[in-house]
Amino acid sequence: MRVTTLVNDVLSGVQQSEQSLQIALEQLSSGKRVNQPSDDPSASAEMVQNLSQSANVDQYTKNVSSLLSETQTADSSLYSVVTLLTQAITVGTQGANGALTTANKQALATQVQAILGNVVSQANSSYRGSYLFGGTASSAAPYTAAVGAPSGYQYNGNSNVNTVQIGDSLSTPTNIPGNQIFSQPGSDVLAALSGLVSALQTGTTPQIVAATAAITTASTYVGQERVALGNISSQLTSQESYLSQETLTLATQQNSLVGIDVSIAATNLSEAEISHSAVLTAAAKVLPNTLLDYLK
Amino acid sequence: MPGLDTSLSIGVQSLLAQEGALQITNNNIANANTPGYSREIVDFEQVGPNGTGGGALGNGVVLQGYQSIRDELLQLRIGQQTSDQGSANAQLNSLSQVQPAFIPSTIDVGTQMSNFFASVSALSTNPSDSTARQAVLSAGQNLATSFHTTAGSLTRQQTSLDSQVQQDVSQVNNLSSQIAAVSRQIAQAKGTGQNTGTLQDQQDQLVLSLSKLTDVSVTHTESGDTVTTGNGTALVSGGQSLQLKTTTGSNGFQHVLDSNGNDVTTSIKGGDLGGSIQTRDQTIAGLLTNLDTLASQFAGAINTAQSKGFDLNGAPGQPLFTVPGVVAGSAAGITMSATSPNAVAASSDGTAGSNGNLVNLLGVQTANLPAGQNPTNAYAAIVFQVGTAAADAQANSTATSASLLQLTNQRNAVSGVSVDEESTNLIRYQQAYEAAARVITTVQTLIGVTLAMGTAAAA
Repeated sequence: MRVTTLVNDVLSGVQQSEQSLQIALEQLSSGKRVNQPSDDPSASAEMVQNLSQSANVDQYTKNVSSLLSETQTADSSLYSVVTLLTQAITVGTQGANGALTTANKQALATQVQAILGNVVSQANSSYRGSYLFGGTASSAAPYTAAVGAPSGYQYNGNSNVNTVQIGDSLSTPTNIPGNQIFSQPGSDVLAALSGLVSALQTGTTPQIVAATAAITTASTYVGQERVALGNISSQLTSQESYLSQETLTLATQQNSLVGIDVSIAATNLSEAEISHSAVLTAAAKVLPNTLLDYLK
Repeated sequence: MPGLDTSLSIGVQSLLAQEGALQITNNNIANANTPGYSREIVDFEQVGPNGTGGGALGNGVVLQGYQSIRDELLQLRIGQQTSDQGSANAQLNSLSQVQPAFIPSTIDVGTQMSNFFASVSALSTNPSDSTARQAVLSAGQNLATSFHTTAGSLTRQQTSLDSQVQQDVSQVNNLSSQIAAVSRQIAQAKGTGQNTGTLQDQQDQLVLSLSKLTDVSVTHTESGDTVTTGNGTALVSGGQSLQLKTTTGSNGFQHVLDSNGNDVTTSIKGGDLGGSIQTRDQTIAGLLTNLDTLASQFAGAINTAQSKGFDLNGAPGQPLFTVPGVVAGSAAGITMSATSPNAVAASSDGTAGSNGNLVNLLGVQTANLPAGQNPTNAYAAIVFQVGTAAADAQANSTATSASLLQLTNQRNAVSGVSVDEESTNLIRYQQAYEAAARVITTVQTLIGVTLAMGTAAAA
């Protein structure tokens, strides 16, 4: 083939090697192989999904830690209730002593009444402005004094349970409605306490013994509910460690989708540099030579 | 008959011929870097003997002129590749400007969509919290804004392509007028038997410029050259330019009309004009449609989920987003219609503390929209679409550059000027000129000798 000029080839070669140099530099400085969708369309699309998943996992993690504090608060309330009930049982056992005077029993009744008040205040405990034991009706105090109610208190909440997503296909209940814990028929905590109060005030020794036994039943029941809460809590903890593993997996995926290993990027850059200087050296050798240099 | 007189005139003719050859060489060297110049080669012809028979001798040389060396087929293929390259570059340029809107950042639609769902998920841990509710509202507003931004960058690109179409058409018209003028000159020159090489170069160069704008083909006929676009719309015929026109079409964009007023917009392919039209009417329009569909169906799904629950005050959930009644323009027109944080319908039982309906709102993220994909995947598909279109344009641009380089080298092999070659020719004609001059001096000496023959004896 008749070659008339090398200028075009040299220009195209210089341009190509400059382009490779630019790409290598961009990859090294950004640490990414994919800097815009056209660099790798399918990796970019997968990246959208990965980022969305990462955002979800981040949020699940935040949900878990917020729910953990909430369940801890609920758990410590129930723990207090169990302690209070144990006190009430001790008082009831004292009251069952037939040798006690009416005044003594009245004093004991006052103690149980105070315990009842404490239990109600635990049942009305709140977390971040929401009552913990009102079901989903969490904006009003679950238990308020009510004349005529058997226990002297009425439940204002409902029996509904909120659930929160803590994984793509994992949800956890976040609350136990108060009526399930404190006023469950058959093991009604508040009724049992107020039963003991009236037994101590006006009842016979067998009635006091029966009322104390009712509190024992209720206490066992609250203990069981605490276990249920503990289960939620341990599920949250195990989900927390799963999520942190998941965060790591997603980050690794992101890196393999769009990232580039620094050593590879650095090697690419020096390769591009070498080939660029080779192109320039060749151009400098080839271009200036014409026949005219030799004609004198 | 041989004779000194004849030698003298052969010598003069030779001087003239070599002078002419020097001028042609000079012209080649002068135009070594002129785009589209085809090298000229000297057309020497020997002059035959006057008589016949054994004694008849040659009568020297005559310069017939020059010949432009060209390859029409190569020229045609260069034209085609140039128009392919023009189209690829037009697409690459506009898609590179569109791409940044789809790079994951803090403000792209994908990220804002994730943020929206994250804010809903956060609300589920404390459904009556006004801060968490406000966060949902803000995330929704941010999402609407990023839909606006993305749609805006697409429509801005369409608008700039639209004005490019108008400019290209006026350039096409300008070039076709020039080609028509040159083609008339060529026809005229041919009629008078003149060399048309220079005019041909000029026309080839104009056609090449036209090829950058759209795909054209040239037919050479006796009555003049015909230039048509790839789809057969005549631009130059019988020495006349047929001007294209633009008019605003029903979609608000410039449509291209041929000289008879027929709409040829969709059939124009190749070149900057073809690439601009394709990007404006297909690539970007397709992206916008998908983005509009996503915005419209996303808003619909969220609003449906809202309607299944109750707001903070226990009233049935009202739509969070407002979108235009038609899909087109939804991405640009989506707005957050809810203004109060209370409007988020978190509750499933009417109480403020219930989060039972948030599961429906969150479900929008994983449920397929009517278009067949969940919102995240639908957006990922749009990103893929942008990336593929830009990557294809990039690959086409690179491929056409490489093939254009090869074709140009091939054309240069045929028509290009080699300075080394011309320098060699320069020496060749210089030597021939010197030799011819020497012949004339020699003949002059011989004539002197002849004239002195009578006196030589006396002396």
